[in-house]
Amino acid sequence: MTTKSEAIIDRYLEAVAAQLSPETRDDITAELRELILSRLDAREEELGRAPTEAEVEAVLKEIGHPLVVAARYRPGPDSLIGPELFPWWLYGVKAGALVLLAIHAISLFITLISGPRDAGQAIGQAFHSFFGSGLTLIGALTLAGAIMEHYRIRPRWMTEWRAKDLSAFGLSDPMTWGATAGEAVKTRGPALRPVRVSGPSPAGESVFALVGLGLFVGWWLGLLNFPGLQALTLGGETATITPAPIWGVLFAPILFYALAQMGEELFKLTNPGAPRIRALMRIGIAVAGLWLTWTIFQAGHWFTLSADDETGRVVGDWALLNIDRMRTLGDGPRDVAGIALTLSVVFTWVAAIGAVSMVYSIFANAWRAVRP
Amino acid sequence: MSADDELFESMRLELRRGSLVLAVLACLRTERYGYTLRQALAADGLEMEESTLYPLLRRLESQGLLLSEWREEEKRKKRFYVLSPLGVSLLNRLTGEWRAINGSLDRLL
Repeated sequence: MTTKSEAIIDRYLEAVAAQLSPETRDDITAELRELILSRLDAREEELGRAPTEAEVEAVLKEIGHPLVVAARYRPGPDSLIGPELFPWWLYGVKAGALVLLAIHAISLFITLISGPRDAGQAIGQAFHSFFGSGLTLIGALTLAGAIMEHYRIRPRWMTEWRAKDLSAFGLSDPMTWGATAGEAVKTRGPALRPVRVSGPSPAGESVFALVGLGLFVGWWLGLLNFPGLQALTLGGETATITPAPIWGVLFAPILFYALAQMGEELFKLTNPGAPRIRALMRIGIAVAGLWLTWTIFQAGHWFTLSADDETGRVVGDWALLNIDRMRTLGDGPRDVAGIALTLSVVFTWVAAIGAVSMVYSIFANAWRAVRP
Repeated sequence: MSADDELFESMRLELRRGSLVLAVLACLRTERYGYTLRQALAADGLEMEESTLYPLLRRLESQGLLLSEWREEEKRKKRFYVLSPLGVSLLNRLTGEWRAINGSLDRLL
């Protein structure tokens, strides 16, 4: 064999060795070298002469690309996310995309009610932002899935599931949204009877809530960016949204509140049979939520809208909790002050409805905690 | 290749995949090194790519089913494999299982 042929073999084996762990590298490449030389001996016997460089290359090509050959020796999984985890990854992507869609739809709605002449630009920006954050979501879920695959992590909620908890997984199919809220789902096969769904599944809801809360925490910490939540377009001009000092004061409490909710959802997934502990946790979270809502409401000033030299304050006020205000929502002037007033009414009602639902949660969970 | 041929090829590979381990274990009742093992399998009609065979040998060895030894033969060092006692016992059990499956399939086909 020529020196050049030997150099080709060495280069091939170096490329394989670079992909292998130091512990197994020498042993595997020694065996591969022996295989290559055996193949070349056989070829030489067949040809009656030493193989040319091109024939050596052809033998190496038959053995396989160094990356593929080395990958076969790897002890871990062959894929980033294997067939067992893939359905969960896909569900997370779908659920996360729906949450992102909802966030962007709200953001787009706010932008559109504040400047209809720039609707095209606003829609374009919303699409751009949706796809950007969607790709970030897919990347984050893929990373999480790859870690779970590599370390063979299989949480209990993946393996210990009950058929009656599965209905919310239909949420990833928009065709069944109405049905999963309590209606009958028509199955695709004509011979099958419609399936009655009792309500959202705790496991599916928790996965959904964890994705949503995770996105919120990422945004709150500045790791995710939703452009429509930082600026509005008013009559062709960009109006910036400046948060009031209360958000800075409550930065850590709001972060802990979101993390506590994530903790409660994780607990629900991992301990489906502990309703009393979960009820107590929910009471604590609802009390914290009420305190946060009250503190934010008491602060009064929530945001400032600024465009050119005009400013408008988005505020919380008891006087805005008025049905007539809701009826005339959006009828006001399309200037900064008018939009600020519209947002004040919307946010005040959202805060009030949130507070009522938290009070309900406290009572409902207190009953769950004490009932026999 | 037509769609039918592709489907047939993918199902054929799937059918073969499970039986290759059994074939390798059976062939290693006699001590062989990788290259001669591949030749022996091919001679009995079971072609196997090197990139599949060599990692499989390592996996079977790490599972305790094979024993291996580096030895010089024809002026080159080669790694010889042979069934371990555990490999012999597992091969016997798998052979029984294979014959049962084969008998069932024969009746069905």
